[in-house]
Amino acid sequence: MLTDDFVRQLINVGEVDILVGLPTHNHAKTIEPVVRAIQAGILKCFPRERTVIINADGGSNDGTPELVTGASIDDVWRASKVYALRTLHAISTRYATTLDSGTALRTILAAADLLRAKVCVLVSPEATTIEPDWVQKLVRPVYYDNFDLVCPLYRRQKSEGALMRNLLYPMTRSMYGYRIHEPYASEFAISGRFATDLLGKEIWTQEWGRMGAEISVTITAITGSYRVCQSFLGTKAQPARNSSDLVSVMRRTVGALFASLDGNFELWSKLSGSQPVPTLDSEPEVIPEGARINRKRLHDMFATGVTNLEPVFRSILSETTLSDLQKIAALGIDEFNYPAELWARTVLEFTASYHKSVINRDHILQALVPLYRGRSLTFLLDDQNGSGENIEIREEALCGEFERLKPYLLEIWGERK
Amino acid sequence: MKREPGWYKDAVVYQVHVRTFYDTNNDGIGDFAGLAQRLDYVQELGVNTIWLMPFFPSPLRDDGYDISDYRSVHPSYGTLEDFKKFLSIAHERGIRVIIEMVLNHTSDQHPWFLESRSSQGNPKRDWYVWSDTDAKYRGTRIIFVDTEMSNWAWDPISKSYYWHRFFSHQPDLNYDNPAVREEMWNVMKFWLEMGIDGFRLDAVPYLIEREGTNCENLPETHAIIRDLRKRVDEQFPGVMLLAEANQWPADLRPYFGDGDEFHMAFHFPLMPRMFMGLRLEDRKPITEILQQTPEIPASCQWCLFLRNHDELTLEMVTDMERDYMYDIYASDKTMRLNLGIRRRLAPLLDNDRRRIELMNGMLMSLPGTPIIYYGDEIGMGDNIYLGDRNGVRTPMQWSGGWNGGFSGADPESLYSPSILNPVYGYQAVNVLSQKRTQHSLLSWMKHIIGIRRSTPVFGSGSIEFLYPANHRVLAFIRQLGKETVLVVNNLSSAAQAVELDLRRYKGNILIEMFGKNIFPRIGDLPYLLTMGPYQFYWFRLRRI
Repeated sequence: MLTDDFVRQLINVGEVDILVGLPTHNHAKTIEPVVRAIQAGILKCFPRERTVIINADGGSNDGTPELVTGASIDDVWRASKVYALRTLHAISTRYATTLDSGTALRTILAAADLLRAKVCVLVSPEATTIEPDWVQKLVRPVYYDNFDLVCPLYRRQKSEGALMRNLLYPMTRSMYGYRIHEPYASEFAISGRFATDLLGKEIWTQEWGRMGAEISVTITAITGSYRVCQSFLGTKAQPARNSSDLVSVMRRTVGALFASLDGNFELWSKLSGSQPVPTLDSEPEVIPEGARINRKRLHDMFATGVTNLEPVFRSILSETTLSDLQKIAALGIDEFNYPAELWARTVLEFTASYHKSVINRDHILQALVPLYRGRSLTFLLDDQNGSGENIEIREEALCGEFERLKPYLLEIWGERK
Repeated sequence: MKREPGWYKDAVVYQVHVRTFYDTNNDGIGDFAGLAQRLDYVQELGVNTIWLMPFFPSPLRDDGYDISDYRSVHPSYGTLEDFKKFLSIAHERGIRVIIEMVLNHTSDQHPWFLESRSSQGNPKRDWYVWSDTDAKYRGTRIIFVDTEMSNWAWDPISKSYYWHRFFSHQPDLNYDNPAVREEMWNVMKFWLEMGIDGFRLDAVPYLIEREGTNCENLPETHAIIRDLRKRVDEQFPGVMLLAEANQWPADLRPYFGDGDEFHMAFHFPLMPRMFMGLRLEDRKPITEILQQTPEIPASCQWCLFLRNHDELTLEMVTDMERDYMYDIYASDKTMRLNLGIRRRLAPLLDNDRRRIELMNGMLMSLPGTPIIYYGDEIGMGDNIYLGDRNGVRTPMQWSGGWNGGFSGADPESLYSPSILNPVYGYQAVNVLSQKRTQHSLLSWMKHIIGIRRSTPVFGSGSIEFLYPANHRVLAFIRQLGKETVLVVNNLSSAAQAVELDLRRYKGNILIEMFGKNIFPRIGDLPYLLTMGPYQFYWFRLRRI
């Protein structure tokens, strides 16, 4: 339920054309340039539209909301020499005292619904590489071309976005049949119609919706026959994270994806192959780099995980897959290779086990982490000095494996272990 | 009629062209006898000042702004005696009269110019600005960009170029020549001695030319104005001078001087922003331009208007704002002229009564003296196919009868065709039918003018904007002495709730000025108002 104060602020804003949502939690270090880029983007491309920036804050104690609401448009228009025809509101609400991206998104969607926004854009407060153009690249397809969801495409270094390339993209693509490269996006745009529909969905009471609100937006769009496209934004820098964060990231992303399959079985089980989605301003997405990889650490994490978690894996994986994993865990670091087929089979068996809750679902996700480290090592070492194009060819091959093995998932989906 | 100092601050002005108002001799052209006959209507409307557009002899190639004789009346409109009679009746009814004075230029048919161009040695040669080259004053913009390529025109008779800031048939007078200045003062004196109450001085920024400048707002121009003002004050105290200077507020401010130049000046930049604010449903354009408007001397006043005889000028807006205005208010390119939009108030506002009322409400309550353009009080339409600005200068619509009651002449012989379409034509929109209805626009206009004139706070009071978080609401306080009025305007097409911080006025009750109803007392909490689409309130604050 929205707070009275927030409702009062929404009354003052009134109907809008474009709503930009900023979910935050202690983002004082990065938020200001993000807000300025959004303001500049609005001034430059949508000076006539009624626009609001809404900050849904999860209890920051570093002054983040004040930085959002205090960012003066005057500085932006003086710098960009683009004059604002309209008042540009920036308002903030505290939805909770702890971070909860699902509640943040729901708050923003509720505001979009109340303000009858034609477009609702979500921007990460950590999008430090954001350019003003991102706003129009996200808004335009919804505002002018009637798309319901605009997913981003980024240009990233190979070492960034590995989870997306190795798991989230190929898995979403093979299950739901659409080639959406960033199904778990921190920047995206949705239509007002879709925002309203999303609010009325059950996802907010379901595990997968609560865990990974962003990916649930993509899946709901796909499963609900909404019009989806991708828009190339530009370079995306990965926020600095501790390696221990990976478990929570897995929960929010992979966990939500796995959980979504429970309720959508009727849909995805009938789909085979995949189709592209309309893509605007497509550009190469990978920046090849000589990534500084701590091979030994990744290798150790994988090998130790395979050994230590063997009892857990016996509940989750088939004997063949476990045996194959043990074989590659025994390989020396120079010979190490976690092939695409084995990785796809691993993930699909985890998917089925997650569905059947063979053990605590959270433990299943935690058990996937060391295996993902091993796959990451192979991904990063493959074509280490190769071109971006080669990397994309390999990515496509991996997706092919996921699509090829989908019938296998259907076989084991209902099987008793 | 005695002229109290500062009378113009509390005036409500009605702008009218003699030609357009009422024709008594059935020649198809309005005349002074007709205007005099219709003064009862003007009086009933509640205005107390008439501003007459040029009525002097003229070839009428610019609707009378091309004067060929400053000391007479165009024969189509009557005689000098007719004018004197009209002036006398107006004064008897308590209505002051302001006339137009085109100082900057004459018609090329004026005897002065005919003499001046007759030979390079003619004594009047130096009454106009001549040059052997058209390369002088290159930094000067062209005002009528749709028709003029240069500010210089070649004169084949005297084989040289003459300077004109407007049409090429309107040569600029040379104000560096003392004889010109003296003669123009004599012209003004001619009318002042007859008893007129003020002049609207046309195109004042352009009197003087200097190389290396944009030839606008020059110090020498201000010196001329100060001299005219001094003479007026000394010889005709109480007479008002109104400047037509289409300039930004900062450039306009000098025209008030230290209270020793103009008494009033049009606030050109505000008008388009009122239209913009309405369509954007956002107070920002209005509050921003008024924030940029400098303070003016206590004896001076802004003149506010929604529409007039010219195009809705978009010279004083940014390119982005102009594009927006064109797209919103003049999607048909025929509606555009020069840098403006040639449309009347009602068609501009889609004939939406609520918007027409709101715009008039703002006109009457923002700081300044309001001007109502004839016909807008009944919601007259326009004819954008008539060329130039003639589409907003069509005959006044008095009734649903022959020629809308304007003239008994054959319709084909009218100076301009009447508006005939089913929405705005005289059979649908006319004074007679609106007089019969208590809720007509005309009746409403009488009501609001009456309220505006019931208190000097609107004419002379201070203004302080309130900035409620709801940007669709334009709210301000007008204050004069012990009188305080709260004005709240909903610029939105939808109902709005707004919270006003009125704690400074805690303990006052609000009295709505139209219905005289009492609203709750102001307390410590934000004062909540709910407002219908385009609704506005004027509240008198009373501590009872």
